Amino acid sequence: MSFQELIANLQYDTVDVSLSLFRPELAICATIVVMLLARLPRIRIDAFYVALVGSAVALWFAAPWRYLAAGATEAAGPQEIFTGMLIFDGLTVYFRSVLLLFAVLFIVMTRLSGIPDREDGADFYTLILGGTLGMCIMASANHLFTVFLGVEMASVPSYALAGMLKGRRQASEAALKYSVYGAGAAGVMLYGISLLGGALGSVHIPTMVTQLASMPAEALAERQTVLMLGGLMTMVGLAFKLSAVPFHFWCPDVFEGASAEVNAFLSVASKAAALALLLRVAIGFGHLPQQPAVENHVPPAAQAAVTAAQATLVSDAPYSAQEKANDDGLSPTRDYMVGIIALIAAITCTFGNLAAYAQTNIKRLFAYSTIAHAGYMMMPVAAAVALLGRDPPMAEKCVAALAFYVGVYLFMNLAAFAIIAFLRNAMRSEQIADYAGLVRHSPGLVVCFSIILISLIGLPFFSGFIAKYWAFYVLVPAQLIWLLVVGGLNTALSLFYYLRVIKTMTMDPEPADRLPVDFSMISAEGVYVALVSLPIVVLGLWPDPLMRWVDAACRQLVN
Amino acid sequence: MSFFSQPVGVSHFLVVGAVLFVSGVVCMAVKRNALGVLMGIELVLNGANVNFVAFSSPFLRSDNAYALGLDGQLISLFVIVLAAAEAAVALAITLNFYNNHSTVDVDRADELKG
Repeated sequence: MSFQELIANLQYDTVDVSLSLFRPELAICATIVVMLLARLPRIRIDAFYVALVGSAVALWFAAPWRYLAAGATEAAGPQEIFTGMLIFDGLTVYFRSVLLLFAVLFIVMTRLSGIPDREDGADFYTLILGGTLGMCIMASANHLFTVFLGVEMASVPSYALAGMLKGRRQASEAALKYSVYGAGAAGVMLYGISLLGGALGSVHIPTMVTQLASMPAEALAERQTVLMLGGLMTMVGLAFKLSAVPFHFWCPDVFEGASAEVNAFLSVASKAAALALLLRVAIGFGHLPQQPAVENHVPPAAQAAVTAAQATLVSDAPYSAQEKANDDGLSPTRDYMVGIIALIAAITCTFGNLAAYAQTNIKRLFAYSTIAHAGYMMMPVAAAVALLGRDPPMAEKCVAALAFYVGVYLFMNLAAFAIIAFLRNAMRSEQIADYAGLVRHSPGLVVCFSIILISLIGLPFFSGFIAKYWAFYVLVPAQLIWLLVVGGLNTALSLFYYLRVIKTMTMDPEPADRLPVDFSMISAEGVYVALVSLPIVVLGLWPDPLMRWVDAACRQLVN
Repeated sequence: MSFFSQPVGVSHFLVVGAVLFVSGVVCMAVKRNALGVLMGIELVLNGANVNFVAFSSPFLRSDNAYALGLDGQLISLFVIVLAAAEAAVALAITLNFYNNHSTVDVDRADELKG
């Protein structure tokens, strides 16, 4: 291929194919630039409006209703963009929409709770949108380098956000711990990626899988240790982002030290992106891509030659279609991944639930709740990988279960942290003991908080129940019954500490030394809490629309 | 032929990378000064960089079917930039910690626990 052709291909791939599918991210980039310009003394626009409009535009471009709705005008078939660095499919659309919807709701919440004051606003929103950009890249990563890049782009702004409250000892400590752990985990992950890339001769996930599946046995035996070590080290970085045990240390400390708003960002957006990334890596390494990796970024003129080349490539491949359905040479890889993910999931949710008991600070309690939920949400990932070889349509159902869980989790945790932030403003405290007797002052708020907590437990009639039921249900066909038992026991465990908060709010006598609470539901804050809690109830009674969306998002994941 | 008498190949570079990586991890684990910990992180990233460059070199490998190609070198360039960005943020956070605690001893970051 001559240099001219190379440039022509690159231009076709970038301008004609990729950029239009990358519009949400471009909108965020533009917003960040505009926000920096808006600080110029001549202009002076409030960064809040710029951020709100920018993220709303990005959400408009992400357009789940165009790709995922029943009568979708544009099919979201899997398509590699930017020469295979990223992948665009239903899952990308779904997770990007979740992240951007969160960004819009979150920006409104920060205005109501007033944590970035006017002075800090531009910095705060720049960091938030920069982090969201990294998370969108995590959700669409198709190349181990974009995996690393996405993790870093999401983490570095989060470190700064954790220490956003200047002059607070706890915030500075939280930020230091977060940045040191985070950078260490990222370094280990990069080393793992270098080992995997060196052993398989590529860092493009579909190519790596093809290499792995077609590798002669002696070469594979030679590389086995390196591959296992590399996979484990890559998992360290992912586990850190998921706050999975044993890389969860940072989570409670950071949640306690940082403000409730930042906690909402870390516990929803960061977690959703980390799960999407885990899915990308686990599913990517668990099944063979249909076509050879290099295609569809070729201009139509050169297509004919490429098709001919592809034909020889396919016939040369050492596996036929028949063999591939039964054994594609990846079952050891899958077993390894299922083992690691299921084990970490079981330990993570057990640890999170046990450690949550002793907490007196509501933010710390929610940190452990977040850890436990990360464990629950990793369970369907393990099931999906286990089913990839046996029953791909069922594996897609597992992914759909996770996607549904993430969608519901967004509202539960966003509403919970919004309430924590508004109560902090109202009574200057984040201790559970100070919530005692709150029902006498603000019954509406207590009702909302109770709905959230019951939904987080996974009791019926709220959306948390459906999400958890579905996530556990898919473990049965995956033959991970032990994981199901662990999950069930954990749900029983979690009952007590969530209900204790409800009991404190409703039954306990008010503490004498508490500042008077004046929080009315007939205020912007009250309406916001009600609006964000509403989907928890609505999706519990009427989950079909979201279920259809997640089904559409996962339909073409495994071909 | 022993490892030392061979012509220099990928494995020699991998040893350098591994030594850098292990030094970095040890540095992160044992240093009490936050700046020392940050230096350890840089060592880890550079250990990975050495690996990437060695894997991607067409001159070092005998089995070219598994050579990483240009990807490796490009990744290491990006990682250098990322490491600088990360160091800038981490140093700012360390300075903020110093302003609040008058020390950069990581063992003094012990107020949050439980």
